Amino acid sequence: MATTHTNITSAAEAYTPEPGSLLVSLTPLPPETFETALTNLALAFPGQNVLVATPDTVPQLSSGGPLRLLQYTPSAPSTSPWILTAADYFNTFKLAQEHNASACLLLGSESHSLQPEAIRALAAAVPAADLAVACYNLGPREGLLNSAILYPVTRALFCASPRFPLSIDIGFSPRMTERLSIAAQRFTSADQDDAILWPISEAAVANYTISEIDIGPRTFAQPSDDLNTILTEVAGSLFSDVDAKAVFWQRARALQPFRKVASGPVTPATAADIAPMLETFSLAYTNLQEIWSLVLPPNSLLGLKRLSLMGAENFSMPDALWTRIVYDFILAYRLRTINRGHLLGALTPLYLAWVASHLILVNSGTAPETHIQQLAATFENDKPYLVSRWRWPDRFTP
Amino acid sequence: MWQQIELALSQSARRVLFQLASFLPGLLALLLAVIVFTAFGALIAGLLRRILASIKFDERLARNPIAAISDWAPSHSPSLLFTRAVFWAFVVIGCLIGISAFDASYANNTQVSFFLVPYLTHSVGAIILLIFGNVVARFLARSVLIGAVNAKLQYARFLSLGVKWLVQVLTAAMILDHLEIGGTVVDLAFGILFGGIVLALALAIGMGFRDIVSRSLERSSDRIPNIDPLPGDPDYKSPTEPLRHF
Repeated sequence: MATTHTNITSAAEAYTPEPGSLLVSLTPLPPETFETALTNLALAFPGQNVLVATPDTVPQLSSGGPLRLLQYTPSAPSTSPWILTAADYFNTFKLAQEHNASACLLLGSESHSLQPEAIRALAAAVPAADLAVACYNLGPREGLLNSAILYPVTRALFCASPRFPLSIDIGFSPRMTERLSIAAQRFTSADQDDAILWPISEAAVANYTISEIDIGPRTFAQPSDDLNTILTEVAGSLFSDVDAKAVFWQRARALQPFRKVASGPVTPATAADIAPMLETFSLAYTNLQEIWSLVLPPNSLLGLKRLSLMGAENFSMPDALWTRIVYDFILAYRLRTINRGHLLGALTPLYLAWVASHLILVNSGTAPETHIQQLAATFENDKPYLVSRWRWPDRFTP
Repeated sequence: MWQQIELALSQSARRVLFQLASFLPGLLALLLAVIVFTAFGALIAGLLRRILASIKFDERLARNPIAAISDWAPSHSPSLLFTRAVFWAFVVIGCLIGISAFDASYANNTQVSFFLVPYLTHSVGAIILLIFGNVVARFLARSVLIGAVNAKLQYARFLSLGVKWLVQVLTAAMILDHLEIGGTVVDLAFGILFGGIVLALALAIGMGFRDIVSRSLERSSDRIPNIDPLPGDPDYKSPTEPLRHF
């Protein structure tokens, strides 16, 4: 399985889709932004015959235009607009099958903010790669859950370097579409239409090629739920996926090369951002000790004790400690050491402690992406710990 | 007179020993049935475990994505779940047979079996209630503790303990009522205790929220209408980007 990082301009100029063979599936958009999205798609594929599928009401377009609009009724409804769900993948597969599409683009919410060049580049990557995922230009205060857990775990266990495993703009080949639909059907048939799928791990397990495309600026719909609910949903889904694919990631594989880090202006985090997170951690340390002790080994508990004694100015969670915490929680999720909802609820204060530590580090001058890459490397280097504990969970580990 | 006392004592002793002699075989039959069926169950469970291991039952079930039984089995081993279920089924059958033998060991006109056998079954129900109540109490206490900590409530542990004691007091009252112990005294004591715990929790929450409400009212009364401070003002605070976890 190969992963390539593609620049927008060069790939976009070379791409010419065959007539009627590209399917672009849009998630529901407000009417005022839907027109903008169609305009961007028309600019992205000038003179090409592209099928655009949408669950929204389709406006009347002049005949002879490049876009063929298709309004469809989703066979599985999705009610989480901020993320791509099993229902979205399943609906896309059904449409691709019906219209014999040779490539698919699935664009998430707020897709009207995507530049035409970015859409074109995403489509251009698909003939060469089975899965093309977007790489977003986020600030240091955005995508923190992805930086803390999703990216390091995916990179370490599945040896896939895409920065955003839960990208909401994806291009896939027919065989990738089919594979994702099989994974999606397991959830939609059990009435879990809002279940989250992990395309990167599916492609890695199937040994399909993965490409990553710089998308540039984009707006995102934010989830309306609180952090605890989001963490439970996203991290729980990731842990479940890791559990299901244990046979794959336990085999040793080559480490990923260090990603190039682009530096840029950083807005320093204020005490108003960090103090509430430190308070939550301090309160959790006082009250959740007995729950953490069921999941974490003595060394990690000692590390947390040292952390609880640190002041706000020098609060710093070592990367090794956070790595062990995540791995131990993945293991506890698998073993059902405690109720899974309780387990992920107990992870929330630890995650906030990491975020506070990360922001303090960024304030001190460290480039945020440098820290994230170092964290991902720590996850890779400590993978043998997870493998060992996975195989022998009853063995004593200090 | 001493002869009559001696006669009364010997007759009552004979009656009690007779009752005991009637009671012991039934009790021994109960214990024997439980022990024999437990041993039989252990033997069957051991044989079943070997058979399931030889046909690779766990691996076959794991290949089936629909069957979620592996998620719920102890140590993710469905064969262990089945063998334990078989073992405990034999133990339960042994108990039922033993209780039936215990009941049959008495003559129809005795009062002991009329009261004791239903009481045994009520005892089993009470034990189940006790186990279930404790499990629910611990689950709810942990849920409240984690939820309160994530909501930054300082009295999270107090809330958690309160919920745990509420459920355990309720469970104890249900058990005593099920065993018909105490009658109205238990009902009254439970009502007073339960009401007291709920009142204490309500006062604690109300007192805790009092500060939050007063701070909220102060903020709304001190708000300066329609004037945003400009960058040169001393009250100006540079806008910070919100944290986005996703």
